[in-house]
Amino acid sequence: MVGMVFLALMLLVCLGSLPWTTSRTLVPVLDQDGQQVLDTRGQPAFSRGPFKFNQGDPEATARLSPGWWPWKDREEKLRLNRAVDAQTVQQIADEHEASTADVLGAIEGPMHHDLKRHWPRFLLGTDTLGRSLAVRCLTGGGISLTIGLAAALLSVFIGTVYGSLAAYAGGKVDAVMMRIVDILFGLPYILLVVLLAVASDAVLDEHISREKTRYRWVQSTAASLISSPQRSATRDDVRAFLSLQFEPSARFQELALDALTAEWERDKGQREETPRRPVGADADTWLSDFETNREMLAAAASLTYPPRKISEGRRTTYDVLVLLLAIGGVSWLTMARVIRGQVLSLKAQPFMEAARAMGAPVHRQLLRHLLPNLVGPIVVYATLSVPQAILQESFLSFLGIGVKPPLPSWGNLAAEGLAELNPYKSHWWMLLFPCVLLATTLLALNFVGEGLREAFDPKRARR
Amino acid sequence: MNTDTQPDTANQGSMASTDKPLMRITDLAVSFDNGKGPRIQAVDGVRLSVYPGQTLAVVGESGCGKSVTALSTLRLIPTPPGRYDRGTIDFRLGDGRVVDLLDIDDGAIRRIRGNDIAMIFQEPMTSLNPVFSVGDQIIEAIELHQNVRRAEARSIAVTAMADVGIPEPASRLRAYPHQFSGGMRQRVMIAMALACKPRLLLADEPSTALDVTIQAQILELLAGLKAAHDMAIMLITHDLGVVAQNADIVCVMYAGRVVEYARVDHLFAHPMHPYTRGLLECIPRLGDRGDRLVTINETIDRPGEFEQLPGARDGVRPWWPWHDPPPDLVRRDEPAGDYALVEIRTGHWVGLWRTAALADAAQGLPDLAWTRPESTAHSQGAQT
Ligand SMILES: Nc1ncnc2c1ncn2[C@@H]1O[C@H](COP(=O)(O)OP(=O)(O)OP(=O)(O)O)[C@@H](O)[C@H]1O
Ligand SMILES: [Mg+2]
Repeated sequence: MVGMVFLALMLLVCLGSLPWTTSRTLVPVLDQDGQQVLDTRGQPAFSRGPFKFNQGDPEATARLSPGWWPWKDREEKLRLNRAVDAQTVQQIADEHEASTADVLGAIEGPMHHDLKRHWPRFLLGTDTLGRSLAVRCLTGGGISLTIGLAAALLSVFIGTVYGSLAAYAGGKVDAVMMRIVDILFGLPYILLVVLLAVASDAVLDEHISREKTRYRWVQSTAASLISSPQRSATRDDVRAFLSLQFEPSARFQELALDALTAEWERDKGQREETPRRPVGADADTWLSDFETNREMLAAAASLTYPPRKISEGRRTTYDVLVLLLAIGGVSWLTMARVIRGQVLSLKAQPFMEAARAMGAPVHRQLLRHLLPNLVGPIVVYATLSVPQAILQESFLSFLGIGVKPPLPSWGNLAAEGLAELNPYKSHWWMLLFPCVLLATTLLALNFVGEGLREAFDPKRARR
Repeated sequence: MNTDTQPDTANQGSMASTDKPLMRITDLAVSFDNGKGPRIQAVDGVRLSVYPGQTLAVVGESGCGKSVTALSTLRLIPTPPGRYDRGTIDFRLGDGRVVDLLDIDDGAIRRIRGNDIAMIFQEPMTSLNPVFSVGDQIIEAIELHQNVRRAEARSIAVTAMADVGIPEPASRLRAYPHQFSGGMRQRVMIAMALACKPRLLLADEPSTALDVTIQAQILELLAGLKAAHDMAIMLITHDLGVVAQNADIVCVMYAGRVVEYARVDHLFAHPMHPYTRGLLECIPRLGDRGDRLVTINETIDRPGEFEQLPGARDGVRPWWPWHDPPPDLVRRDEPAGDYALVEIRTGHWVGLWRTAALADAAQGLPDLAWTRPESTAHSQGAQT
């Protein structure tokens, strides 16, 4: 019950705040004199700054302990004062009838107290780059929980479907399917996740940059040029070919040909001496001019297949999605085994035979008679695999394969915190808060799993 | 001979309501895959028939194929490992059409399951789904086959529960199977089976797992419901007392074949097959003195037992798998070709070796439309 409430709260806070923490800050647009630029309606203009979770001043606010932490040294207190924005400092100075310099220099007394209250990164301190740890923990929680829940759901779904199919099919199909699981079990799963993550990352990269597609286009065009009957041997021929190729495309006509011709004109002087090679020259001729011809082709290719434009946020979302799929796609093995065992034993239960004798169609047997009996193990393993997925995500992030900074997750926050732990001056809050959040969430998940299991067990539900 | 019933009171009983059999099984053979070894022939050449309103008792030792026969009629044998080798199961539908249950498509057999033919299973404790309330399960059975609304199905379920004698049926609908005793669960199973008013009920040892009192109640309940719904029952049991008390026709099976098939009174009065005689002899009887009962083995170990059939002098011998076949065996070139089910007396079929005397005899098809007269329905079987 406590676990349920805590988890619900955690989910609500972390996921609910995601739209805010992943929104962009607005920075006022300043002209060269440092004056605010006004937009057409006479309002001060703003441009989109960094993401909220990524906002911070590496010099002024780095490594500030939580505001309520009493043991700060002088230097830290001074930096803390400077972290407060100028307007607030001015306000406090007016209130206390002091100069702003006095306010900034105050490290004791009511002035300092006021300053401390106005410090926005008060709650959990800041990290190495001066970003608010509280905001980062919120975002990180959102990311971690999303990945954990979604990956667990995915793995439970795959595992349930795979396991029950294997058990229901039986015989050779079952044997083959389970041997596949055995083999996958034999591989170190973290390797699989890494492989999947890296591979899909590469695919994604290619999808966005389309480098390979361009490369292939150049290759095949070059090959067809060499082998074509005209044996295009000179730049002119390539140009002729390209203009033929791109005749319908006005854009190419304008851009590429003009650009290429301009270039051609530019170094015409040197080329003039070169006698025009006869049509039908052999492939060597083409190859001798290969590099320059290739450049032209490459230029044409980048017009045909321009790299896709993709926003930073979209790209990050893809990364998270890939990670989630990789974790979910690897951790369904245990689930599949458990479900298979359950289905096998349930299939032999008389009530399944009774359902068949009643004339229930197959899908009804599976969905209405089998699945409800599986809910117990499914729920238990789902709640077990959520923390597992969160842990895996943290581990991968720690290795630098998972969630990539600047996007935070509890895992890479903890990793950053760990790096900051040193005997000279430990910045404990950077390690403690992500870890505490992670640990309590995992604990809560266990409680919830237990609670759900009891709720789903008809024998215990009605004591 | 052994019972109070007089033999050959052939016309004393009433004829069944129809003179056409409800179900007729011919030459049913089912085998199971046995890994590397040869296939297990669970039943081979089973022939029997059931008439509307009749109770057919199937008796025989454990593993002789009773459950397999019953499951085959609903086509519930898992395949693989099982396989229907041959045979037909002709079933007369409500509209008078006769279909072969082993031959119709999956959708058709599914419509018959639970609707025309219902089954009560051997294990009352586990035959109900533990995660649903009993009401849900009865209602599901109704909704599967009847086009009714939920409220209607609910009231049918309440009636069905009341019919099988569960007190406060309306409130008990919400209870879960584990909150019921074994007897009550068996009643729920019966309520489920009867909710769609099937015309044939397969009762596979409906009372074996229950104590004697509940057992009697359940059987009485079945008898009452049978009369009310005019359905036929195929009652599988080990208990000859139950047979004597409830059955109209008895089918004795051994090692996957029918060894004797006759009216209950005839069978008890004149058991023909040595195995049946053995079965009957090991029933203790009131008034008998003696330290011990006669075992089946003692009966069938007496060679004389196998030479008592009419025509024994011509070489008519009861089929018995543990004996060497008689020397004049004429094996037909077909499965179970060494065996013939022959009507040795009017209305009395016995499984015999296909010896020279029977070389041309056709396989008999047990076919008796007799039901016991109402008056005797509950007066017999005091012998156990
Ligand atoms: N699913 C199965 N797989 C393999 N063999 C089976 C299977 N079901 C039944 N058999 C075999 O078929 C034969 C007949 O079994 P069946 O269940 O019909 O016995 P039974 O007469 O009902 O016995 P009991 O009185 O103990 O219930 C047995 O030898 C059994 O081993
Ligand atoms: Mg059985």
